[in-house]
Amino acid sequence: MLYLAKVEKAIIVDHLVKNFEVTEKKPGLIGAFENIISPRKKNIRALKDISFTVTKGELVGFIGPNGAGKTTTLKILAGLLYPTAGLTQVLGFDPWERKAEYLKRISLVMGQKNQLWWDLPAIETFELNRAIYEIPKKTYRESLDELVTLLEAEKLLNIQVRRLSLGQRMRLELIAALLHQPEILFFDEPTIGLDLVAQEKIRNFIYDYNRKHEATILLTSHNMNDLINLARRVIVIDQGKIIFDGILDELIARFAKEKIIKLTLSKEIDLKELEKIGKVKKIQFPEVVINVPRPTAAVAASELLQSFPIADLTIEEENIEDIIRKVFRGESRKALHK
Amino acid sequence: MKKYLSVFKISFAQEFAYRLSFIMWRVRNVMQIVLVFFLWDSVFMGPQPIIFGYDKAKIITYVFGLIIVRAFVLSARAQDVAGEIQRGEIVNLLLKPVSYFKYWITRDLSSKALNLLFAVLEWTILYLVLRPEFFFQKDPLFLGGFILLVVLAMFIFFVLIFLVSALTFWMPEAGWGMQFLIIVVAVEFLSGGLFPLDILPVAIQKILYLSPFPYLIFFPLQAYLGKISGVVLLKSIAVSFFWAFALWLLMRSVWYRGLKVYNPPGK
Repeated sequence: MLYLAKVEKAIIVDHLVKNFEVTEKKPGLIGAFENIISPRKKNIRALKDISFTVTKGELVGFIGPNGAGKTTTLKILAGLLYPTAGLTQVLGFDPWERKAEYLKRISLVMGQKNQLWWDLPAIETFELNRAIYEIPKKTYRESLDELVTLLEAEKLLNIQVRRLSLGQRMRLELIAALLHQPEILFFDEPTIGLDLVAQEKIRNFIYDYNRKHEATILLTSHNMNDLINLARRVIVIDQGKIIFDGILDELIARFAKEKIIKLTLSKEIDLKELEKIGKVKKIQFPEVVINVPRPTAAVAASELLQSFPIADLTIEEENIEDIIRKVFRGESRKALHK
Repeated sequence: MKKYLSVFKISFAQEFAYRLSFIMWRVRNVMQIVLVFFLWDSVFMGPQPIIFGYDKAKIITYVFGLIIVRAFVLSARAQDVAGEIQRGEIVNLLLKPVSYFKYWITRDLSSKALNLLFAVLEWTILYLVLRPEFFFQKDPLFLGGFILLVVLAMFIFFVLIFLVSALTFWMPEAGWGMQFLIIVVAVEFLSGGLFPLDILPVAIQKILYLSPFPYLIFFPLQAYLGKISGVVLLKSIAVSFFWAFALWLLMRSVWYRGLKVYNPPGK
């Protein structure tokens, strides 16, 4: 018998496929009539055979362009969508069955969805959740105190929800979603629409929660700071397929095809000459920024030093944000599809 | 069970959040009763003491009973369900260890309890003011049959709404229209909500009595008025039971399928 170090897999996704049938809408009045008489159905393949696993306590970022299948994946894992084919298992449960024991251990937070009762103070929703999740009174008190302190929400609890700002509401939404101390958390765009300060608060909170509760967290975000600061591992989804799964640094290494050379010139020169070395991105005498292909960066640098009057030169990596931005735009396809 | 008690409480609080609209709605109810009373009161001013087999006390009781039974059976909070599906808000509850169906039944009961509270008050005042010739049923058999039929009717209507709302899973835009069709057209007409069904031709009555609709309003009221007794009463209770159970089974299977194809909107 072989003893393997037992790594607990919190999430297993194996050959997952999800197709949606949608009715195509034609514009205008005539189109509307045509739709009633003969609706045109179209099959959308949202997820085309994706597989991955997540270890307990991991914090994984899901990135990719709009419509890539990130949210679909989260919804399947949370038991909201019925998978067309493939296996999904979270904490040993089939999410689709939505067993109470499963739902008590997970939470899905969507930046654009709210569960708080609009006309009532948030504390009422919290009390309701306490009953629904059958949280013991003592645990509830501790949990609430902790969350309220972390998210600085003491003063907001007794105000009608509709009177609060989006940022304030989002913090209360988080409390509502976490009172039952879920082991698995799915975040869908948790910082969307928030100002920078509020974003920072939410981010710090997610980071702390992951550490403190050893919670497994999957998050999708279009906010680069969310990913850079939170996720060590990222999964890139594009057109329903996983095109990268690994640590963030690796993604950057794989996708960063250029290096950035920053020069300080000691006197003015003919800029045409610089174009021969690489792409000139910025000139603001005496500063110049040139992008060169990674493999030739060293050669380019030495050539620059030999042929030009240069006071200072540094070689830098491409900005992480630029790289991730390219991934969001779907430009990573060529680079990552094998 | 405790969780549903909390749902009950928060629903109650929610109803009070819109105090003004609640009061306006109660005023509307009172106006409705007063209008209906004067309408039938003047109809019976004429020489005919009995119309369609109803004397004045019984028609007034039917009409008043109609308002009462309608207020309980046809007022269902669950009418919001189609909208919840369409907007994707149902997700909040699907994610929680709570039964969606029981959740809405609870909200419904909470809303009905609130109605009952106010209705009792209003009726007492109106009765004292208008002094109508009201028929009080004293026979416990009829009263028991009435209560049982009303409870079944509430359940049937609730399940009907859930059933119709489930169409939203397939046709997100159709939800409200379908509900209108079923609730306003089918239910109002076929349940006896506008007039006693036994004034219709017998052949139509016979067909109608096989559908679930007359069991929503007409039969409970007939039981109260003592117009059905013995075997007929038992038979209508049995049919009502049958529909409650059959529609519930159907609703469950439709919901199961609906949730499978459902793709909640919103990213």
